[in-house]
Formats: sequence, C-alpha cells, structure tokens
Amino acid sequence: MYIFSGSFQTFSFYTIIPKNIFCFVDSALGKAISNEDPRFRMILWLIIAGTRGGINRAKILNLIRETPTNANKIATTLKLDHKTILHHIEILSKHELINKDEKNYGATFSLTQIMRDNQNVLTEIMEKIGTK
Amino acid sequence: MIDFMIAAVIAALVNIGLLIITITTYVQNMRLLRSYLTLGLVLVAVLLLIQNVVIVIFWSTLYMQSSELMKSADMVAHYLFVINIIQTIGLVILVWITRR
Repeated sequence: MYIFSGSFQTFSFYTIIPKNIFCFVDSALGKAISNEDPRFRMILWLIIAGTRGGINRAKILNLIRETPTNANKIATTLKLDHKTILHHIEILSKHELINKDEKNYGATFSLTQIMRDNQNVLTEIMEKIGTK
Repeated sequence: MIDFMIAAVIAALVNIGLLIITITTYVQNMRLLRSYLTLGLVLVAVLLLIQNVVIVIFWSTLYMQSSELMKSADMVAHYLFVINIIQTIGLVILVWITRR
C-alpha cells in the first residue's frame, strides 16, 4: 500500500482537463501566462459578447487598463453619454472587473487583480473588435 | 378549466418574442465582434426560435384541422405547457441578463 502514498497529490481539475483547453495559443511555445484562468476567459467573452453594450464595456476596460481614469474622461474619449458610462461602470463593478478608488468626487477606476491577470484575453477581444 | 393547448401556444408566442429580443442583441454584437462565440450564440438562439415556431405551426395547422389529432393532443397538452412555461422562465432570465 505504501507504494502509492508518495504519488497522491491534491486534486485539481487541471489533472483531467488541460489548462489551455480554451486557449488557441500553441502551448508548446510556452506563451500562456501562469495566472491566466480558462474559466475567467470564457466569462469575460460572455460578458462582452453576450450582453447589450458589452463592446462599449470592453472599450472602457481597454481605456482603464494602462492609466486609471475617471468617468468624465472616459465619456469624452469614447464619445458616449455620461449616464451610459456610469451605468456601464456600475455593471462592471458588480462583475468585479473594475475598482473605484477612495475619493468620492472625480473618482478614478482601475482594473481588479483578476482582470489584470487575464489582460491578454482583453487584448484578444480588442483585436477582434478592431477600430470599427 | 384551463385549455392547456392554448396556454402552451401562448407560452410559445412569448418565447418567440423573448428570443427575438435576444437575437437582435446578439446580432448587434456580432456586427462589431466577429468570433466563433458570437456566431454560436446567434445559432443557438435561432434554433430555439425554430423550435417555438414549429410548435405554433403544429397548433395552427395539424391541431386545428383534424379532430382525431385534437383529442390525442389534448391528452398530452399539459406536458407541452410545462415544457414551454419552463422555457419561458429560462428565457426571461436570459433576457434580463443580456439587456442589463
């Protein structure tokens, strides 16, 4: 019996399902980032592709990615109504994709940790959207 | 007594309306974001739409025309009603998620 005792590991789904099952990057090249989660990848795709105004939400995420920005600046750069931006921001905060900083007036928004870990999913989606 | 066949058809018509709402949302997204996922969402919604259209066609042609089929269909109509009303509940949740 003790023969097997050394080979037991904590159970993980990645032992059955390969981690890059939704990833079309060649895994042999080692391009996949270690913190990337395939489940989150699917969720982000569905949030953006499966909801009304999801493409504007992707644009907001892409804008926030490098520099934290406030709602007014987002509205002017994306040429959208201030109220729509506030609605999108509310939904994105509910999904825990963006964070609000402590300030109340003119608060800036930035990506949460899970979103920062999975940034190349967003890059891929933005490439598909293009400049249309 | 409720006529289950008519209730089932009403539920199917509601389903068609809800599916048209989801399909328009998905197609609007597909125009900007072309990928296998958006295409798949549209395809699934269209197939569900076809299913509900077939139910309405079945009711309006086959069911109305022959009285023999009407009797046998009435015996299973409550099952059809349950199937459709569950689908309606599911689609209401889907529409609420997509249109938020």
